[in-house]
Amino acid sequence: MNIQEVFRSRKALTVILVLIALSPLFAYAAEAVNYSEPLENTAEEVGAEEHPVYSGVLPDYTVPGLDPYVGTLIAGLVGTFITLFLAYALSSLMAAKKGK
Amino acid sequence: MHIPDGYLDMPIAVLFYLLSAAVVGYSVYRVRGTLDEKKIPLVGMVAAGIFAAQMLNWPIPGSTSAHLVGGAIAAILLGPYLGCLAMTSVLVIQCLLFGDGGITALGANVWNMAVVNVFVAHYLYVFLRDKGLHLASFVSGWLGITAAAIFAGIEVGLSSSFKYSIGVTVPTMGIWHGLLGLLEGAITAAVILYIAKNRPDILNEEVSEE
Repeated sequence: MNIQEVFRSRKALTVILVLIALSPLFAYAAEAVNYSEPLENTAEEVGAEEHPVYSGVLPDYTVPGLDPYVGTLIAGLVGTFITLFLAYALSSLMAAKKGK
Repeated sequence: MHIPDGYLDMPIAVLFYLLSAAVVGYSVYRVRGTLDEKKIPLVGMVAAGIFAAQMLNWPIPGSTSAHLVGGAIAAILLGPYLGCLAMTSVLVIQCLLFGDGGITALGANVWNMAVVNVFVAHYLYVFLRDKGLHLASFVSGWLGITAAAIFAGIEVGLSSSFKYSIGVTVPTMGIWHGLLGLLEGAITAAVILYIAKNRPDILNEEVSEE
């Protein structure tokens, strides 16, 4: 079993890359309509506030110092591939636990 | 749907860390040794696809929006235990790398989106499977996310920052995500039908048996 297996499914990878490529466009459009989720609206209604204690390495899917749309694109690529490798590595580990 | 820091009281945050740890631990136990050569890359792909899809915030006019969560897609393609673990991976990366979802609320977010969403979606799918793939995947996507939202409403509604207004938070979250969830259901059905048509071999067989 090796990681090349993952890259054999070209179609799935293409779909994922298209989703990432669309992310700056969606970020722009979401901003244009004042994107706000029900949880944020509920918080506003009752006066609850966020108190961030940790903002991440790439806060809010941006790269500090870079244009936010370029940042979103980079954050999308980095996040997607880290997720891919993490999920792949964890499932390989779990598969190996018994037998093998 | 991702709860940030500051919304939950500490006892609630701790409680949901413990509940999530129990289910995630049990899922690892159930999954260990059952993965074959075909499942391993699929887990990576499904998790990566869900991460990418969650980045796309639907620009719905009227200031109440959402994005795909994907718990039902994970449940149907990977089964509930592996689906729960794939969703957990996505949520942990979103939290640690991007600050999406508070670090104190990670337990609650995993509970809502990797446990409630995935398991509710799984059982609905199994229950409705013989009524047709369209219906089963649509309802599983729709009500899975709605159930997750209701839990988010319960967690924040029992916290002091929300003034213990559980009578407001649960209906607000449930109704809005129940409406927005129709889109999640439609996308879930489209994805599952496409896969059933083009790659029937990767639809999780266990699901129909369990």
